[in-house]
Parts: sequence; C-alpha cells; structure tokens
Amino acid sequence: MRDLPGKTHVAVVGCAMHAPRDAKQRSLEEAIYAVARAALLDAGLAIDDIDGIVVGANDQLDGRAISVMMASGSVGGVGRDILSTPSAAEHAFVLGALRVSAGQFRTQLVVSWSPTEVSSIPEALRLGTDPYFHRALPLDELSAAGLQATALESAVPDIRQAAISIVVKNRNNGAIAYPDRAAAPRETAWIASGKPLRWPLTDTMVTPPAYGLVALVLADAEFVKERSLPAPAWIQGLGWATEAGLLGDRQLAALASLAAATEQAYQQAGIKNPTTAFQLAEVADATPYQELLAYEGLGLCARQEWLRACESGRFERGGTLPVNLSGGALSFNPVYCAGLMRIAEAANQLRGRAGHHQTAKLERVLAHAASGFAMQYNTVVVMGRDPVAGTHSCVGARP
Amino acid sequence: MELLTRKESWNIAYEHALGETASWFYVQIRDHAKLYGRRDPKSGRVLVPPRSFSDQTLEPTTEWVEVGPAGRIETFTIVYEQFKTLPPPPYAFGYVLLDRADTAIGGFFRGIDLSDPAQAAQTLKVGVRVNTRFAEKRTGDILDFWFELESK
Repeated sequence: MRDLPGKTHVAVVGCAMHAPRDAKQRSLEEAIYAVARAALLDAGLAIDDIDGIVVGANDQLDGRAISVMMASGSVGGVGRDILSTPSAAEHAFVLGALRVSAGQFRTQLVVSWSPTEVSSIPEALRLGTDPYFHRALPLDELSAAGLQATALESAVPDIRQAAISIVVKNRNNGAIAYPDRAAAPRETAWIASGKPLRWPLTDTMVTPPAYGLVALVLADAEFVKERSLPAPAWIQGLGWATEAGLLGDRQLAALASLAAATEQAYQQAGIKNPTTAFQLAEVADATPYQELLAYEGLGLCARQEWLRACESGRFERGGTLPVNLSGGALSFNPVYCAGLMRIAEAANQLRGRAGHHQTAKLERVLAHAASGFAMQYNTVVVMGRDPVAGTHSCVGARP
Repeated sequence: MELLTRKESWNIAYEHALGETASWFYVQIRDHAKLYGRRDPKSGRVLVPPRSFSDQTLEPTTEWVEVGPAGRIETFTIVYEQFKTLPPPPYAFGYVLLDRADTAIGGFFRGIDLSDPAQAAQTLKVGVRVNTRFAEKRTGDILDFWFELESK
C-alpha cells in the first residue's frame, strides 16, 4: 500500500440535515435540492463556489437506477464534476475529503439521502445479498443486525442490559436534540418488553426507517482563509475499511475493519489515548449492539467493561465522553444516510451549530459510520478546531 | 391543494448465471444430497459455499472437499416479520460452520418451536451441533436443505 500524500487540510464548513415531515410535499429531487441549498447557505457559499460534488445514493431505496443521474441537477451537477458512491453515504464524505486533500479541488459538496418511497424496505434491501446462495433467505439489513447481535450476546454474556441502556440513553438524547422527531419508547421496562422482529432485536430496540437527507460542504485551508469562513471543523484523521462480503466468512462479533479504520484515523490525528482525546462522539447505532461494537473498535471501552461503563453514565450527557447526543439512529433512522448524519452531527458540534444539543468547550470530536450488512463498511473521522494533522496519508485501511 | 403520488410496480425477472463452481455444488445437492466446499490452496481454507476463487488470496480454488452434513451454529436470528416473497413467519435462520469447512453457510433451522422466542433462542444457541436435512424432492437450490438440532 502506498500513501497518497495530502496537499492541504480539509474542513467541514457547511452542514444541513432534513427530516421531511410530509414526504409528499416535495419530490425526492426537490428535497435533495433543498438540503443541498441549505448546506450552501449554512456555509455562506453559492453553488458557483463549489468545484465538485460527491453524492451517496442507494438505487434500491430510491427506485431510480443509477440515481445520481436524476439527482445531478438537484445538487449542481450540471456542467460540474460529480461522482457517486453507492457503497455507503459516508464514502461520499471520504471521497470528497480526498479530492480536496489531494489538491485537485478547493471545495466539495457531499450529499446523501434515504427515502421511504419503496413499498417494503426489507424486500428492497434483500437485493444486497448474493443471488447465488443466500437471497432465498429472509436476509435484509435488520436480519443481518440480528445475526450480529446473537453472535455478540454469545461472545459477551449479559450484555442485553447494556444494550437496553444504550437505547434509553440515545432516545433521551434524541428527545432533547430533536423533540419534534422523538416518538420511540424511552422507558427501560418498555424497551425491555418489546416484540421480537429479528431475535434478539425487538421492535423497541430499533427504530423504523425514516426519510432523511444530509449535505455537507468541504473546503481546503486556503479557501477557508480566503473567505474567512467561521468555525470550520477540521478533518484531522480519516480511516475506512471493509469486511468480507459473505456474512459466513466473517466473525460477526468482532470488527477487524473498524480496528483498521480506527488505527488509520488515529495515526493521522496523532491520537494516543482515545479515552481522553475526545469531548464527544457520534457513532453507528442502528442497533444498540452496533454502538457497543463501536465502543470497542474505537478504543473507547473494552467489551468486558461495557456493562460497567453503561451503568456509570460515562457515555451519557454529562459523562466524560457523551456518545450520540443527537439521539443517533436509535432516535431517527434514515437507513442509508444515517452514517453521514453521524459525521454531520459531530461537525456541527465543533462548529457550534448543533442546536438544542450543542455542547460547550469542544476541541476534538469523533465520528463513526457503519454501513452494509452487519457493519460491513466502517469509517472513522476525527475532527478538531485546529487542522493539526490534516488528512495526510488518505488511503483506505486494510482489516 | 391535493398532493399526488405516482405508484409503480416493476415485475422484472433475472436469470443469474451460477457458473461452473456453484452449478456443480447444486448438482451434488440435487442428485446426491451431499455438500461440498472448495479449498484455497494458498491458505488451505475450505470455502463454503464454494467459490472458484478466494476473495482473501485471489487464488483460484483447486479442490472439492465434502463438508458436513453435521456442523455447529455460528449465529442465528428468528424472524417474526412478514416478507412479501416468503412464507408466513416465524422462521429461524442463520449460519452453520459445517464439519471440515472454514467458512459458514446460511440456511433455515427447522424442527424448533418458535412460538416462545426466548425459549427458542435457548435451544438455538451459538455452538450447538446441527445436522443437515435434505428435501426428498430437490431442484438444485439452497432451499433443498436445512438444519436441525443434532440430537433430534
């Protein structure tokens, strides 16, 4: 593997996240236009300031083959360089950051969305399995999450209590962050007595898919200085890695790809002790078991300490490292772009634009996104008030 | 003003080529009720379901190895939600590491009372031994076989 030397530091300078109340009010392309425009307004920029665009889109959910073709016009892609990353929404962020870091572009607009127009999201997501051996099974992303949760419960006994406490924590956070969205159960007893969807996951331990859109504006150091852009969230470290494609080839209770992505991001950012390096984290939590795996993979908490850490309130609001103050995907679950929303939430905290859940005195934050079946893709982003190490050596990690 | 939607339904069929390796695997299931994997000569690992190349070493696999019919549960889930294209739930499925294999294959678990999820999960545990059962009439498909607890 050869390093790709970055030429400049990269910052998030604009963010927008939309959760349309009425999906019928706008077509998908109109909604994408709205969120892209909102991110540009947030950055104080116009589309003419944008050199290139990367979108993350999922054809199955969109009901549009190569959905970037329809969406290009919505995000300013007519007559402007545009790429798409169907593998994961957060990969659009990685690619956008790399394009700026490499000195090829000064600015990038990164956009992703996750509609709920398809009649059955589980059926649509079953297309993600191989058509030769496993597509006849009821294997969608939620089933894969159930398989991973079973493997984890077997590997680490008595973690169901920790998992339930994470649901409570994130839903309580979500009720503060976005009170208009919060509707999922928050009482421990209620969550513990849910009806099984994909054992051991119950209807109270996950959140139904929701319609969401997210856009970020990235810029290089020179552009930030030239335009005097306020409060940029500098990308200090960026890592990403992938697990094997077939679930039966993997150890579902461990994430080698997350360890590799973390090592890469921390090395770039100069993180020696992750337990004290960050003031806030936003991590993947489509299920609470995902958040537990994130604690371990990000070096925040060993698995044998999960239950104790959850009981101590360490990851709660007011704890030493609040995790998912936004409420996470356990509060609002736009399936495909939930990972990019974690990055946007962490960036907004640094920029002082998080809203109701804004935290004071942040120097460095951590974002983790996972996508695919049982967290096949893992992306780690370290952001800070200062550029520090930038996004040098931006090459995907090998698990 | 009234907000309209436009509903559309597609019914497109795909006929996916299985290739020589997967075809041979399914023919053995159909004609002989036997399961096979392919060995990666570089790593020595037996890949089940079989692949013509290893995605770890990118070497072509070179040897058929009979696997199972017994194995151990690697993980499972029990589905209580209706899929439009599948029979009514509940059903249990998961991944089994067949004897002599190094990777696990997915399949349904049968012969287990799923009416009480917690009880069923106590029966279907990671590490529990299972046996492969084959349908009497086989078509050369992944649904030609399923797993049952070894003690049954």
